[in-house]
Order: sequence, then C-alpha cells, then structure tokens
Amino acid sequence: MAIVFRLNGEAYRHEGDPMAPLVDVLRRGAGLTGTKAVCREGFCGACMVHVDGVPKLACLMPVGLAGGCAITTIEGLGGAMQRLGERFPDALRQAFIDEDVVQCGMCFPGMVMSLGAWLAEHPRAGRAEIKEAILGNACRCSGYERIVDAVMLCLRRMGG
Amino acid sequence: MSGRLIVASSIAEARAAREAGAAYIAGGSWVMRAPVRGETVSGDHVALTRVGELSRIDISGDRLTIGAAVTHDAIAGTLAGMPEFGGLAAAAGKSANPAIRRVATLGGNLCTIGFAAADLVPALLALDAEVTFVATNGLQQMPVERFLAQRHALLPDALVTAVHLRRAPRLSGHARLPMRKAGGDYPVAIVSVSLGSGNGERHVRLAVGSVEPTARRWTCLEAALDALSVLSPEAGAEAARAFLGDFAPRNGIEAPGWYRVEVLPVLVRRALALAMPGEESD
Repeated sequence: MAIVFRLNGEAYRHEGDPMAPLVDVLRRGAGLTGTKAVCREGFCGACMVHVDGVPKLACLMPVGLAGGCAITTIEGLGGAMQRLGERFPDALRQAFIDEDVVQCGMCFPGMVMSLGAWLAEHPRAGRAEIKEAILGNACRCSGYERIVDAVMLCLRRMGG
Repeated sequence: MSGRLIVASSIAEARAAREAGAAYIAGGSWVMRAPVRGETVSGDHVALTRVGELSRIDISGDRLTIGAAVTHDAIAGTLAGMPEFGGLAAAAGKSANPAIRRVATLGGNLCTIGFAAADLVPALLALDAEVTFVATNGLQQMPVERFLAQRHALLPDALVTAVHLRRAPRLSGHARLPMRKAGGDYPVAIVSVSLGSGNGERHVRLAVGSVEPTARRWTCLEAALDALSVLSPEAGAEAARAFLGDFAPRNGIEAPGWYRVEVLPVLVRRALALAMPGEESD
C-alpha cells in the first residue's frame, strides 16, 4: 500500500517497504541527501528531520508512520520556516558560516534541524542549555565549543 | 525489513492485528535499531502511537495514570514540579537524548525484554507502580515487579495499556551513570529511590537498573535503610557497600559486570541526595 506524505511542501508517495527507515526513503527515494545516515541508532542526530514541525530521528522512524505527516528536511527548512514566519534556522545557518563551524559537514544539517526548532522556544538560552539541547547531535570533528559559539552569536543577533 | 505496517487507531484494532501475527511497535527506537544489533526484522507490525487511549496521562487526587504510548518527553514535561514523582520525571527527562525521548515510550521500556538499561523501569519499581494490560482473558492489573517477572510469558498475548501510580506524600530521585555525557549512551547502572513514611516509620523503595538483565528492587538495602536511625545520602552509600554481593551483573561492551556493581554506592548516594531536599547532589 502506498504511503503518502508532504515532503518539503510537496506531495510524496512511497510504494515500498513501510518499515524502511525514513532516512533511506529521503536519501535514496527522494534524492534529498542533506539528511545523513550515520549511526542509524539514534545517537548521532545526523538524520534529524521535522515531522509536523517536531525534530525527529529519520533513522528510527519507519516510513509507514510518516503517512499523512508533513516532513521537512534541511533542504526544505528555509521555505517551511519562512511560511511560519520563523527566522531562527536562517540566522543559525548564517552564524555557523560566520563562526566557521562546519568542518566535515556531517553533523551540520542535524544540528540546524535540532537547534532551529529549539531556539525558537529558548531565545534566551545559555551555553549549558545549548549543550543540553545538542545531546544526541554528535560532531565527529569534536567542534562543539565553536558550535555553541555560533548558537550564542545567533541568539545575540536575534535579540535574545 | 519487510511486511505490512498497520497503524492502529484503537486497542481493539491493535489486538486484532496482533492476533493475526503482527508484532507491536511503539516509538520504534528499539526495533528500528535491530539491523545494527545484527538482528533481522520481518513480518507485519502494528503501530500503537496513534491509539488515543494509550497516549493519555490522567492525574487525579489520588492516582496518576500514564498510557503505554506516552513518550518520555511527555512524561518529563507533565511530571515536572511534582516532587512525589521526581524520580520518574528525572528518569524520563534524562534518558538517552532529546530526540529519542520524543519517540521512546513507557510501554516500550516495560516490554522490551532485551533492553536492560531502560530508565523508566527502576523508577516505576521504586514508586510501586501497577501495570494494566489487555490479554485474551480480559483486562488485568499487577504490580510492575510481578509484570517484569512474568513478561516473557505474558507478552505474546498481552498489550500493556497503562501504568498506575498512587499519589502519596513521598520524595523520589533517580541517578544514572552513562559512559559519557554526550550522545545518549545506555547507562552503565541506574538507581531509583522513593522515600515515604507511615505509622512513624520510614519506607524506602530502591531499585537498580542496567546491572542485571532486568531491573529489580534492592530489597536487602531497602530494609537496611529503613532501619537506619538517620538516613543521609552518605549513610545510604555506606550501607549499599555491604550488599554489593546481591547482584549477578551482566557483562557488556560498554562496561564489565563488576564495574556496574562497584558504582552502585555512588549512585545510591546521588539518588538519595536528589530525593532529599537540602542535600547536595553532584
């Protein structure tokens, strides 16, 4: 049976295994490779997507549970947030660039997907809270302090 | 992975799919990791996350009921600021990582037999929780301790629907030791404690998770703590050292069994400190 969901604002239809991890459908089926498949057990956060606006791990979500949902990947985040009038993800991406955060780039999409949603609810967060929020988003280059620097810069720019 | 995924909207629908051979799936955080563990997942599955009856938390004057499909994140959010359930709130709010907590469920923690490090289970043991489940012979309820002992036999037929906790003037705490702070590793060992009183006596409930294959109460330590003239985190840790031989610990890739036992006194101290107002926790 086909599974139909909204993917970055457009209808998407999956005809295969309903227990396939959503991350594989996004990467192999939809060609959206910004969502990374790394640990495949929920520890690294590189596969983070938004499901109906909530950050979820695409490696642990069977695509069958995406039926009827709105899925947003890093590729569609700008558009989705613009529709909601939300500016944090764009500001966060710019702060990552300005602080020269990105090293290998594997964690970057997942970090933005996790933090973009979280910052909107925590505009006055401090470093400790930010570190708590990115538990589960692993940077294999171990550049955590610079990531936190970028988030703090983003918050300052947004008036937090 | 292959087979159908039936998304149930009622308990009856979920039970019917199970009777037709489908396996239950809640948050999916265990079954979706099966390939990483070298296990094969096949056959049909029935998802429980859209069954409204399983996704509710009801708080009354004397009872708290948590549906089996309620996530750790929802439990932590709802119980925040309720000191009697502080241990359970901490167990739910500190497990794994934020993204896992948004999908992992109460029922998943109780029913995943191979998951020794489930945070909610020792917290429920320490709070004398009762488990409700639906089986062929109807709705049943039993203490979580008995459910854990019998779940191998029960689970082929039973669908856990909720957990019930009595509201009472007590304090509780939960301490866990992960191998590192980041990432959300499985804890090496977990200690949950609740401190109640009645008839002028202290009633300590203390449960240990992740040390043996299934979490359980540490009853000999409970009795020793009940008998102490003054209970403090340090006194609790000192008492715990006398009962370390009570465990048959499991070895694992993240820690050998002896280490899981050796850290228990420290975790007892931390759990007690978290439960006792005014005590300093580290």
